[in-house]
Amino acid sequence: MIFFEFAKRNLARHKFRSVLAIIGIVIGVLAITALGILGNSVQLAVSEQLCMIGNELVVYPYGEEAISDDNFEKIEKVAEAIPVQSMGDKATLNGESTFVMVYGMRSEDIPKLLEKEAGQFLKHGSLNCMVGSRLADNYELRVGERAALQSQKPRIVGILAERGVGFDINPDNAIIVSDKMFDSMYNTTGYNSVIVKVEKIEDVEGAKEEIEARLNKKEEVVMVMELKMIVEGIKGLFNTISIFLLGIGAISLVVAGVSILNVMMMSTVERTKEIGVMRAIGTSKREILRMFLFESLILGAIGGVIGAILGFGTGFLVDVLILHEASYLFAPSSILYVFVGIAFGVGTSVLSGLYPAWRASNLKPIEALRYE
Amino acid sequence: MNVVELVEVTKVYELPRGSVKALDNVTASIEAGEFISVMGPSGSGKTTFLNIIGCLDTPTGGKVAIGGENINGLDDEALTKIRRDKIGFIFQQFNLIATLTALENIEYPMILKGVNEHEEKSKELVSSVGLEEALGENKPNELSGGEQQRVAIARALANDPDIILADEPTGNLDSKTSKDIMQLLKDTNERGKTIIIVTHDPQVASYTKRTFRLVDGRIDSDGVFL
Repeated sequence: MIFFEFAKRNLARHKFRSVLAIIGIVIGVLAITALGILGNSVQLAVSEQLCMIGNELVVYPYGEEAISDDNFEKIEKVAEAIPVQSMGDKATLNGESTFVMVYGMRSEDIPKLLEKEAGQFLKHGSLNCMVGSRLADNYELRVGERAALQSQKPRIVGILAERGVGFDINPDNAIIVSDKMFDSMYNTTGYNSVIVKVEKIEDVEGAKEEIEARLNKKEEVVMVMELKMIVEGIKGLFNTISIFLLGIGAISLVVAGVSILNVMMMSTVERTKEIGVMRAIGTSKREILRMFLFESLILGAIGGVIGAILGFGTGFLVDVLILHEASYLFAPSSILYVFVGIAFGVGTSVLSGLYPAWRASNLKPIEALRYE
Repeated sequence: MNVVELVEVTKVYELPRGSVKALDNVTASIEAGEFISVMGPSGSGKTTFLNIIGCLDTPTGGKVAIGGENINGLDDEALTKIRRDKIGFIFQQFNLIATLTALENIEYPMILKGVNEHEEKSKELVSSVGLEEALGENKPNELSGGEQQRVAIARALANDPDIILADEPTGNLDSKTSKDIMQLLKDTNERGKTIIIVTHDPQVASYTKRTFRLVDGRIDSDGVFL
């Protein structure tokens, strides 16, 4: 391919200039790839935390009064429902007194909603308790120790895995007891919330409407919160952040594009006479165009590949240093940014070369020959 | 057969200070195998005459046929193809392509045309213009002026064209080298190539068999150089 060879040699003729143009593309592609991977990793990290609750609805009482057993049964007819009692209370842990959230749940419901890190789940009607991970960390609680709550001293049989911020319950800083234990400690009736789980995320809307229809017939008794909306809102927010990050990368690529345009324009002006000679001895417009496009293609491809490799490395560092997790890096959606980076690099470069190449190919041979 | 046929050719340039008639009603025919010089004072239209025959410029009026093909109204692509296949160019400043070696410069027009055995042919051409084959690996800036012009002549011959056009081919050479180059062009003509040379130099014209003298865009005389 003679025109590819021409392009290579012409770039080699001005090594320093070509290297500078390539550095521009490297920086642009690096920015796009690294920021793309970062944005995507953050999104993945957030979605991972959020996706498990996306198919949940949380039913809260509308007024002061808790959700009654009757109403709970109505909810249960719509879909699987987990009743939750909750109470803020003072507890003594490892000799220190602190304010904690106490959740009362049917023992069979606990594994449906939460995961354990150590020990066991509560048995039916158990008088023991489980503690959230953060609480366990902060007060150095271990399985087998006792917590002091009200006048009771339940034994800690299990420690929950970290769950992060939730919209249904926040168990990380909480103590979980069985419904029976909760009733014995606090003289309450009904439930503070009911978590409804539907099988598919698409069923969320229907379940919400049905619960409202069944319970809020005469007056507003309950409020149904769907987490799907919140989850999607948050995902959307992070998506926007990602796009914003990509935009920053894109700006540096535009700058690189301008520098390529500049380099190519210089090159066409310098080579006007040579273009005239080539045209005179039988090189067609299309061939001149191709030669110059090859030049910008080579600049873009070299810069793109180097930039993508460096961008991937930077993405790795950022993931490890900020998110403490390298696995997001190898997710297909992250790897995609490596190719997006290369494609943008090559695209910008070729696009910037288009005008100079067109100009060069449209020089009148006779005028170009006369150029000194 | 006439390789060049100009009938009442006129070329007018529109310039800011008014229009300039570079060629005025020029009629000429050149047969295959002729060795021609074009002389005349600066601005007499010599270069325009050569450019029109070389399909680098199109006439404002009149008819032009190259190698029997009428070029009036042909588009850029077709004209490019005629330049590639039927015409060889030799320039005053040699105008070799700087990034290519001497041999590659000679190969280049053949590659454009799609000639398969361009490597072998370029080597033959290098020795036929009196250069050592080893010189072929050099870049133009590593060659002397005379050597560069020999490479340029080999390049002009690469696609076995009907006509060789030379614009002041010895203008940048010393007198000894000029003589060698003119001898080479004369030998090339004797092997059957039609050659048209634009020159100021009577010495150069004396090698040719027919001379057009242009004055003010017209052919003032046409005959053997005296």
